[in-house]
Amino acid sequence: MKKKISFILILLSAFSLQMLAQNLRISGVVRDAETKETLPGVSVVVKGSSTGTITDIDGNFSLSVSDGKTLQFSYVGYETQDIAAKGGSISVNMKPATTKMNEVVVIGYGTSKAKDLTAPITVVKSEDLMKRTTGSAMGALQGSAAGVQVITNGSPGSSPTVRIRGVGSLNNESPLYVVDGMFFDNIDFLNTNDIADMSILKDASAAAIYGVRAANGVVIITTKKGTLNSKTKITYNGYLGYQTPVHMLQMADGSQYAAMELAKGTSSDIAHVTLSAQKFGGSGTKPTTNTDWYGELLKKSALTHNHSIDISGGSDKATYTVGLSYLYQDGIMKAQNNYKRFNLLAQTDFQAYDWLKIGYKVVISNSTLFSPNKSAFANAYYSSPLYPVFDATNTNAFPTAYASSTSIGYANGAFSNPVAAANYYYNKTNGLQVSPTVFAEIKLWKDKLLFKTQFSQKFADNNNLSFTPAFYVDAYQLSPNKLSSLTSSQDKYQNYIIDNTLTYKDGINKHHWSAMIGQSTRDERWREIKGTAANVPGAKEEYMYLSQGDATGRTLSEDGTDYHGLSFFGRATYDYASRYLLTATLRADGSSKYQQKWGYFPSVGAGWIVSEEKFMSQQHLFDYLKARLSWGMLGNDAIPANNGFSSLQTGTGYSGIFGSTSSSAGAYIPGYITQNFFNYLKWEVVNEWDGGIDFSMLKQRLSGSIDYYNRQTNNLVFYAPQPMGVADLLGNYGKVSNQGLELTLNWKDKIGKLGYTIGGNISTLKNKVLDLHGLAYKMTGVSEFPTRMEVGQPVNSFYGYQAVGVYQTQAEVNADPIAVANGLVPGDLKYKDQNGDGVLDTKDRVILGNYLPKVSYGLNLGLNYNKLEINVMLQGQAGNKILNMNRARRLWYSDMNGDAEMISHLWTGAGTTTKYPSALGTTKGWNNMASSFFVESGSYLRIQNIQLAYSFKLAKSASAPEMRVFLTADRPVIFTKYSGFTPEIGGSNTDLSGTGYDNNVYPTSATYSIGWRITY
Amino acid sequence: MKRFKYISLVLLLTIAVSGCTDFLNKLPENNVPVSAIDYTQLSNMYAPVSGIYRIAELANPGLVHWMDFGIRGVRGDDLDKGSSAGDQSQLTDIKLFHYNYASIQSFWGTNNCWNDYYGMIIDANSALAELDKFAANISSTDATNLKLNNQYKGEVRFLRAFAHLMLTRVFGNIPILTDNTTIQTIGKSSVADVKKFISSEMDYCISNLEDLRPNQSAHVGAVTKYSALLLKAKVCADLAGSDNTSTYWDQVISATDLIINSSKFSLYSDYYQLFKKPGKMCNESLFELQFTDFGTSSGDVIGPDAFWAFQGPRGDQHGSNISGWGFMSPSQTIVDFLTARHDSVRLKTTILFTDTKTKGSNKYAVTPSNDTIWANSDGVKYFNGKAYLPSSQMTAGRTDYGENNNIRVLRYADALLLNAEAKIRKGQSGDTPFNLVRNRAKLASITGATLQNVLDERRAELACEWWGDRFNDLVRTGQAASLLTGFVVGSSEYIPIPQTQIDLNTNLGK
Repeated sequence: MKKKISFILILLSAFSLQMLAQNLRISGVVRDAETKETLPGVSVVVKGSSTGTITDIDGNFSLSVSDGKTLQFSYVGYETQDIAAKGGSISVNMKPATTKMNEVVVIGYGTSKAKDLTAPITVVKSEDLMKRTTGSAMGALQGSAAGVQVITNGSPGSSPTVRIRGVGSLNNESPLYVVDGMFFDNIDFLNTNDIADMSILKDASAAAIYGVRAANGVVIITTKKGTLNSKTKITYNGYLGYQTPVHMLQMADGSQYAAMELAKGTSSDIAHVTLSAQKFGGSGTKPTTNTDWYGELLKKSALTHNHSIDISGGSDKATYTVGLSYLYQDGIMKAQNNYKRFNLLAQTDFQAYDWLKIGYKVVISNSTLFSPNKSAFANAYYSSPLYPVFDATNTNAFPTAYASSTSIGYANGAFSNPVAAANYYYNKTNGLQVSPTVFAEIKLWKDKLLFKTQFSQKFADNNNLSFTPAFYVDAYQLSPNKLSSLTSSQDKYQNYIIDNTLTYKDGINKHHWSAMIGQSTRDERWREIKGTAANVPGAKEEYMYLSQGDATGRTLSEDGTDYHGLSFFGRATYDYASRYLLTATLRADGSSKYQQKWGYFPSVGAGWIVSEEKFMSQQHLFDYLKARLSWGMLGNDAIPANNGFSSLQTGTGYSGIFGSTSSSAGAYIPGYITQNFFNYLKWEVVNEWDGGIDFSMLKQRLSGSIDYYNRQTNNLVFYAPQPMGVADLLGNYGKVSNQGLELTLNWKDKIGKLGYTIGGNISTLKNKVLDLHGLAYKMTGVSEFPTRMEVGQPVNSFYGYQAVGVYQTQAEVNADPIAVANGLVPGDLKYKDQNGDGVLDTKDRVILGNYLPKVSYGLNLGLNYNKLEINVMLQGQAGNKILNMNRARRLWYSDMNGDAEMISHLWTGAGTTTKYPSALGTTKGWNNMASSFFVESGSYLRIQNIQLAYSFKLAKSASAPEMRVFLTADRPVIFTKYSGFTPEIGGSNTDLSGTGYDNNVYPTSATYSIGWRITY
Repeated sequence: MKRFKYISLVLLLTIAVSGCTDFLNKLPENNVPVSAIDYTQLSNMYAPVSGIYRIAELANPGLVHWMDFGIRGVRGDDLDKGSSAGDQSQLTDIKLFHYNYASIQSFWGTNNCWNDYYGMIIDANSALAELDKFAANISSTDATNLKLNNQYKGEVRFLRAFAHLMLTRVFGNIPILTDNTTIQTIGKSSVADVKKFISSEMDYCISNLEDLRPNQSAHVGAVTKYSALLLKAKVCADLAGSDNTSTYWDQVISATDLIINSSKFSLYSDYYQLFKKPGKMCNESLFELQFTDFGTSSGDVIGPDAFWAFQGPRGDQHGSNISGWGFMSPSQTIVDFLTARHDSVRLKTTILFTDTKTKGSNKYAVTPSNDTIWANSDGVKYFNGKAYLPSSQMTAGRTDYGENNNIRVLRYADALLLNAEAKIRKGQSGDTPFNLVRNRAKLASITGATLQNVLDERRAELACEWWGDRFNDLVRTGQAASLLTGFVVGSSEYIPIPQTQIDLNTNLGK
């Protein structure tokens, strides 16, 4: 018995010993590899079994594991780690996963992790920009970012109009571009390939750190840099394509135009038709000439190509990049118009000591632009199709015998021969821009206190030669005095910015904070000198000097500006356990432009990462959920500087002529005029608050963000028309609000080997004038087709009568007191008598719509399978109206041509149309008043980009160069009801097209190209 | 190492913060404040006046804008709109007195007209303020400069008053603007009050301007005492209307007598050349807007915007300089009137014919100065001969129609005719001044001239000139309703103030 029990005991103990021998006790602490803070709730699982635990509140864990097993540590937002089980205590460092939330985002004067942001900042990656074949990087953004409206301009070398979150200023709507610390008004000089990343600070709380320039948003661009400890990487990017005009407006052809002229019935109009038949072919009232002026002016296709190569790399102490690029873009007009740009980028950073890092960067851009004569397109719109391009019988014309519209009875410069206008034009601009930046970063105390000083400069030199050869076509189309003339101008920019920032970052346990204070000094200098001379030989560009022209009559003018700015700013951030975030900034800006020198711009933002909360740890819907709220104030100093004093206008322009008699020529007696009305301007102040949610769910396949913003511009500056012919005066006259919703969604998933993404963004805009300093409204825009600033309506809304039909019969005319009082006949437009008083007067004018879109949206579809990738991007907007100024020109030029749609559908008898007036009616003032007849919907949907790409390696080895070939179609198709060339009416607020008047006659083009990228 | 760090940091900060305050006090570039004028330099005292003369010679603002002439002139029966039927058709509506048409209420032309004249008045008010600043530096014992200062003010006030006259003849009741700070709220004055204002302004001018002909003035072409006398006479004639008993006719007589009895003025002998180069600033001229091409073939030229081109012959003129847009064509009425009274000199001066000869399928005419004018396909038969500068008189190398010619504003013939009219109305004989004008146009004298004789002579003498005198004469003599189609007494005299202006200053609507 005793022997049996002891044997069993020995066996049992042997078993237990064996069991003991198989189980290791492992314990340890899990931390974040970067912040070194402990991580609770990390899942620790024995691989291959269901045994596991989670770390406690202090990051500790303890587990029994059999020898030879592997422990797997996983936690949301961190890379999963496998560690072989060994006995004892271990320390595990979890590396944050590079998800969107952990990406580094460039914010004003610093960087931040995306998850720590309290403001909506859109980051656009270089790869997305590279997908488009546009000359300007901002053009590539069209439709990609919610709240960012980009309007492209057709001609080569032109910059797009960019509006962020509506229009909050009537003087300048462009955002501030910060390229490596230097402020720019546009980034045309940059090659898209040089951009590493772009952060768009849409919201006041993010942009407030830029204070007085930031009212329209800030786009921060960082050009490419090398990375530490990386082998040399060479990338070559290029594309070759052709541009072709799309959505060409069909103008009335010869027979349609002749029908309209004959229908008008006046001797002048019938004469156009009979003279054309007589001189250029046809008989009686049936001329055969049918010139398609746009066809004569435009090429079917224009070449564009772009090449860039960059080399970058780094050792453990230094990084470098060198990039070269070249862009060529031809224009679609058949005269000399093209754009060439050569860029050089060089950058080096060096860690001189372990506490000192220095570096420099230079961007050099050298461009040549040949601009076309835009008025040739206007002439092509107005010109009758009844005369040809050339006419050998026009013996007075020289050097080329172009046909003249006067030969068939036209007598106005608007009807000049468009082909002659396009060819008798030479306009060349050479631009050279050098932007060097040097910086030093000093670590003052470990990694916590950092001082950075940066000195950025911009030197730009532009030379423009504008030459008109000696020519004569007819009495309205000739060079002044039939001599050649040259205008030569040179302008220079010399800007510098010195930024000094001191940053402190620290944390205790779960509390983290940082503080940044900074100071910035700015000087922007511009000077221009311009001269004109007549009779300059123009056969070669080498002859185009003012000194080659006549000495008498040579004029000279000079102008310049010099603005100084001084700023102090600071930012403080605090976060608790990366769950509760708080950011505050304040900037004090001083500017030499205004009487009021200093402005103060604070902002505050809070964020709550809801998905980190304990109560959220059980749900599986949201992987990440963050709620944000922010508020900020910004200034806008892009309004013109004001004198604050009465200024003088002197010179020959303000001197009277005396002594001009039969025997003497007369001479100037020096005189001057005083400008007594001047502006005292304060800068505009934008007040914005924003609330938003960022989220990702369904295993991070669906991500997106929703933002609601409300921005109010106070002290809105605009030109108020003055009575009695006084020039419009700028003043701080009002308040405007822009509010809307921005929604961005992205879905990314894989079905087997097929990956697909669907992304979209939509933004709404409600713009409203809140106050006009006591006035109910102010009239703006073109006085014949005015816009109106009215309290409660969007800025610059179109204003006029409402056209409700056409008088069809004489009985209808007789029955209407308004028609009788205005001497109307059948075929005239009928306007609504809004107040029913039987009189059509100013009280019957109403708001007809506005140029700002109510909704803008973009949709992105992508498919990738193995090495193949397809991307389609759509973009559109709705709710905006356009005033078709081209049709409205009929008020001034009654016998001009028109679009075929209108000309062939004019009223010709009772019941023929209720939309268009009769042919004779088109010449009457009554039918050319400001009304809804000219205001059309500008909504459109465009297939913005289709790209098909194939990536492969050039050889079998792992280090072989990678090649990506892609076929792209840019802007191939547009769907719109608008009757003009393009519903994209851009331009700045200070010119006509900026507020929705379409006098844009340059067609937009689609670009079809093949491109390739080789990375080695 | 650490010390180096801190020193460099401190250095950088000090550099950055230094120069704080002055850095932001930066004057704007290329902009001289008015306070930079040295008002003690009395030799510069004429400069603000010269500036106003230049404004008068300009279009926006100024007196020479083509549309302003269109509005002034088209209502008379001596000028038709011209050009093609649809071109500036609102002028046709104005000619037919359809002021209530909605298209006239919002017409850019009337707004432009208002702004052009008031813009000039505003500049004139500023110039007067400048002259006051100079006056502050003239010692009370310096009689010469005090007199000059008053004279210069008079010149500016003349131009300001002339602009008011143009305004009131078009719009009727208008604000009298003498203080630029009131432009947002100023109310209207009656037509009579405006004309009385002009008359009293002329009283100041008469006392203070030079007692010389304009072409004898220290600044050749400046307005003088006699320009003011004639303007006063014109305004008084307006105020008198067709009331022969009015004392305003006495003022007309005394003012014009002063001009005549000064013996300074005489009618230019060749009526045809009066409006062309030989007649520039001649002894008949009481006020002209002066332009020049400096005698050079290219380069700097001062011209009246499109004033001449507006009236130039329309149609394909085969490369000739004698061409333009073809507006303001003399009416068939005036051609018939001049033909019927055998007024051949005035006929060949005032009318440019286009279809007296034929060559192939084209019609043309040759002017007395040997320029060919081809007919046009718009049916416009005549063009304004008083705007015509023959190509033989143009400076070699210049190509713009009318380049280097002056615009005549006030002339001695007007003074003589007003003198005759006023005397006849007052029961005296007007034969002497009346026949001087007739004889100059190679017409036989008439003894015992009646009021209708004088009015007819006035119509022929001033036909197609640019200041709206024909329409004004018809209105003031009560003949408008019978001679102008669509004219309604009491409502067709004045065009309504543009809606744009009422929007900007609601007091104008009251």
